[in-house]
Amino acid sequence: MENFLSLITGLSISLQPYNLLIIFIGIILGIIVGVLPGLGGANGVAILISVAVILPPIPGMILLSTIYWGALYGGSICSILFNIPGEPWAVAVTFDGYPMAKSGRAGRALVLSFFSHGVGAFLGLLMLSFFAPIIAEFSLKFGPAETFSVMFLTFSAFVGLGGKSPVKTVIAIFLGFILAAVGLDIVSGKLRLTFGSINLMGGFNFIVAVIGLFGLGEIFFTVEEGLRMEGIKARVGLKDIWEGLKEVFRYPKALIMGSFIGCWMGLKPGGATPASFMAYGFVKQASKNQDEFGKGAPAGIIAPEAAAHGAGTSAALPMITLGIPGSPTMAVIMGGLMIFGLLPGPMLFKEHPDFVWGFIGSAWVANFVGLLLILAFAPLFAAILRIRFSIFMPAIVYVCAIGAYAVNNRMIDVYYMIFFGIVGYLFKKLDYPIAPMVLALVLGDMAESAMRQALIMSHGNPLIFFRPPIALPLMIAGLIIFFWPTISGWKKKLTAKKVV
Amino acid sequence: MHKTDIIVGLFFILVGVVILIDAIRLGFGWGIGGPEAGYLPFYMAIGIILCSFSIVVKGLKKLKKEGSGNRLIKEGGLKPVLWVLFPSTGMVLLASLVGLHLAALIFLAFYMRVVGKIGWIKVILVSVLTPLIVYIIFEKWFLIPLPQGLWGELFIPF
Repeated sequence: MENFLSLITGLSISLQPYNLLIIFIGIILGIIVGVLPGLGGANGVAILISVAVILPPIPGMILLSTIYWGALYGGSICSILFNIPGEPWAVAVTFDGYPMAKSGRAGRALVLSFFSHGVGAFLGLLMLSFFAPIIAEFSLKFGPAETFSVMFLTFSAFVGLGGKSPVKTVIAIFLGFILAAVGLDIVSGKLRLTFGSINLMGGFNFIVAVIGLFGLGEIFFTVEEGLRMEGIKARVGLKDIWEGLKEVFRYPKALIMGSFIGCWMGLKPGGATPASFMAYGFVKQASKNQDEFGKGAPAGIIAPEAAAHGAGTSAALPMITLGIPGSPTMAVIMGGLMIFGLLPGPMLFKEHPDFVWGFIGSAWVANFVGLLLILAFAPLFAAILRIRFSIFMPAIVYVCAIGAYAVNNRMIDVYYMIFFGIVGYLFKKLDYPIAPMVLALVLGDMAESAMRQALIMSHGNPLIFFRPPIALPLMIAGLIIFFWPTISGWKKKLTAKKVV
Repeated sequence: MHKTDIIVGLFFILVGVVILIDAIRLGFGWGIGGPEAGYLPFYMAIGIILCSFSIVVKGLKKLKKEGSGNRLIKEGGLKPVLWVLFPSTGMVLLASLVGLHLAALIFLAFYMRVVGKIGWIKVILVSVLTPLIVYIIFEKWFLIPLPQGLWGELFIPF
């Protein structure tokens, strides 16, 4: 009951005219970001942090998070109409969405996708609203050792389940921690890794790194690919919407499976992208007519879309309760919250309930507004893709530069941004994952101080990280996931031998 | 691709060694107040060196087996990237002289006209309006100062 009242407070915060205006702006910007291939949720949020810093905390936070909700909706438009995924999590929908659009049912494909997004969002938000307070309450019992073990689990998930080379992921994480360590050490007061340079004394601000790595790096990557846009024209009429709404509920299995897989996957780092693939795979396997998949099967649109949005929303749960983001975009949003001096985590619930519930309330409102807007204006948003990229691109670089500067009012940060842009581009080319590095940069100071505090408590005995009842299972799970690539390698060898 | 992998791996080993040296200078053991400042960087550096070493070894093996592998950057792919990188860097450098807004105007116009080959009317419209809107929102509305540069006041006196 108490949660319910808090939720109503949150809703009323986000329905205040000014905040509602911000939600509309955020959703429209987010959909545009989502529609544009090469600009994802993480990039969009990173770039628009420059705009959010000038707002007060609650509207600023609403802007950042609604951009993500908008991007979740918008990513599908490009996939379905152009067969080019606007977002990584919209790759799975190209398998069936594009064939359906090609066969002349573009409007239907879009409507199906949007409603599935809506259902996924609904489930994710339900989970967020009712589990977040419970988890936050539980995590109040965490000491430094437990905090460290949760972080260890998070990073292990990137290594073991991230899908990239585990060794390269480890390097990326460690580099992130090193970057976070540059500058003044708070515990000892010593200067670390500055090598006598005054500019390095202030350390690297992770917002600047995020804007460079995700914003600029992605632009370099996109111009190299040289995008050419040839899409299908779509109209979404009232009839399409009505028929689409009926059709979505004709595939309850795909819808429910997708949403649940999404919500589950969203809790783990990795987020929406693996969730959408997994949901597609599962629904295809469970379907009676597997031949239809790939040719425009409705279930092949519904499942990955519901999963993507479910994962996107439920990724907010570990971020807001434990301070551990469940997706790369959430990591960037969390970085944005930290500019306002708000540290996501259990204490946030106690100290700034208006903020937390404003966040959750605005997520409800924004996802609803997003669904209405995208149903009404999908063809209009698709028209953005006909604007030449060489008009967008320099403007985006300009906004990135503003953002990098505005964080600390330092020109040097703009140079760092360009440097990080080059790093981001090379990392992407060489298959080093960027998201875990950014997460390490964001969580670096917290993880290090948790580790040091725990070690001080135990007088240097590392066994404190394995203390029951909470830290032990977390660490064991973390270790298993960390070594999962090796374990599954052994398993394959063993089964291969048996077959021989 | 394999060659670049090896080069980057070697570079990371170097980075690791540099960090290691600084971590040893800071002390990585047990100080008066618990772990010393270099504790975490020390182990991170060792991790980076070991992992990079394994990447270099793997890369060398693959290089022997498969030759240099596919190209890192597609043929003709580097040019458009540099066409973004150099003008952007130019904009940033110019910004420290004439201020960000004017630098952005020049950068927008330059890129759209020279690289994008977009019509003059659109070029002028976008490259003047974008910095103007940003200027009004940031400096006049929210009072957030953006880089003025050395001579910025001379150009935008209002």
